[in-house]
Amino acid sequence: MDLIYYAVNIAFFKVLFLHTELIGGWSSEQMMVFVGSYLLVDAVNMTVFSTNMWWLPFYINRGELDYYLTRPISPLFFLSLREFAANSFVNLLVALGIFIHAIAVYSGPWEFGHLVGLVLLLVNGVLIFYCIQMLMIIPVFWTQSARGFVDLFYTLGIAMERPDRIYRGWLRVFFTVIMPFALIASYPARIFLEGFTPEVLFHLTAVSAGLWIIMLGLWRLGLRNYASASS
Amino acid sequence: MIAVKGLRKTFTTHVKEPGLAGSFKALFNRQTVTKDALKSIDLEIQQGEIIGLIGANGAGKTTLVKILAGIVHPTAGEATVLGFRPWERNNEYRRQMCLIMGQKAQVWWDLPALDSFLLLKEIYQIDDRLYRENIEFLAETLMVKDQLKTQVRKLSLGERMKVELMAALLHRPRVIFLDEPTIGLDLSAQKAVREFLKKYQQEFRPVTILTSHYMEDIKELCPRIVIMKEGSFVYDGSLTQVQRMLGDEKCLSITTRESTFKVTVPRQDLGARTAEIFSQNDVLDLNIQDPSIEDVIESIMKNGVSV
Repeated sequence: MDLIYYAVNIAFFKVLFLHTELIGGWSSEQMMVFVGSYLLVDAVNMTVFSTNMWWLPFYINRGELDYYLTRPISPLFFLSLREFAANSFVNLLVALGIFIHAIAVYSGPWEFGHLVGLVLLLVNGVLIFYCIQMLMIIPVFWTQSARGFVDLFYTLGIAMERPDRIYRGWLRVFFTVIMPFALIASYPARIFLEGFTPEVLFHLTAVSAGLWIIMLGLWRLGLRNYASASS
Repeated sequence: MIAVKGLRKTFTTHVKEPGLAGSFKALFNRQTVTKDALKSIDLEIQQGEIIGLIGANGAGKTTLVKILAGIVHPTAGEATVLGFRPWERNNEYRRQMCLIMGQKAQVWWDLPALDSFLLLKEIYQIDDRLYRENIEFLAETLMVKDQLKTQVRKLSLGERMKVELMAALLHRPRVIFLDEPTIGLDLSAQKAVREFLKKYQQEFRPVTILTSHYMEDIKELCPRIVIMKEGSFVYDGSLTQVQRMLGDEKCLSITTRESTFKVTVPRQDLGARTAEIFSQNDVLDLNIQDPSIEDVIESIMKNGVSV
């Protein structure tokens, strides 16, 4: 199933490039670096976080957080990483393969430092992806059900799979600041392809840090409100 | 060790009429009800003490326990346990505390107990020697040595509860919250759990709060009881004292040719009422007793005798 997802993603851009030279300022080769990047972020998320994110709303809703809250360990850490999706591990390898292949065949100029930057920023991208997911889940503490928000997350999540230059005006603000899906893979790919610029780095740091702080604050607020459905 | 002052907890819930029309109405005009789960509670418990917390369903027992275990934030008031405010969830506090809920499992369902224990060992940073000693002691006293390598879901309810107790006590907590530890267990398993708790309490002297609906648990384990009714304490004192609260009453069990019945009469009327009963019935047997603890507690829970 996931292999089909990868194939569709690659084919989607390949087909577009039959009709145009550049998309969002990128050539076909450059685009593949970007596609490899977001597939990798997605695969890491599927392996590490997604199972746990899926269960979290039910846990909160049914009052199953109780024991997690009594342990001398961060409940957020424990709940986010408690289950490792071993079955997604193969996907992770495939995504890694696509990523490495895209870099290897890329014929444009690039520096080793930019590759290191790309990898680090993709790690940051995984965390951004995780943060946005959490922001969609935390309202369960108040609303009792998060399906609406989580569906919204998956719908908007497609924004991660498009180069950021295609967004203009308020849509750009939305996807680079408010729900910074464009920062997950598109900005990192740009660093690799176009080199570091102070503005992009500052933007990445500020938005990532802000997002993280807001998420943690909201999580604390949620726990305050946790009523622990009674036994 | 545990000091609680003016602790209050209010829950706000939404109510809606049943059915689709009710849901529609609730969308525009939401009705809320506030419920005082705890109304200004004061409580002091000393080192080594075990208290029994009793009351009907919804009296606020579990809410109190959950606040003291740091799970739920109180609406107002103060509480310290071992000098910590529980809901700040200081790791230092959480390492010395444990919560056992008869209705919610904490050991991992699909794993043998020993694997869960290993994870807990890491979480609580229990050193190897203490860990081995504790497993040895707990498994021995609870008699579950042979069940520790079996998947937890394959165990019987009684065995599972014992494993839960082990998991909770591995780090040798100084404060123990036991919320209905014997619920759903058969009589012999109940007895085993009780006996274990008694032994544990004598050996390690933790502070323990026990809630239970089984009077046997309370009678066996708790010299001091607290009775709750609608979010307030209606009695806080020794278990033996409670019997004397209704000490000016006597319980008569009368067996006649037709039936057996019980009457409770004030002590000063005892002679007159007994004579009356004898004159009106053909009495085969008569028994005069003090009311049992169960009767007294039930009466307090129902009528809320003020202390």
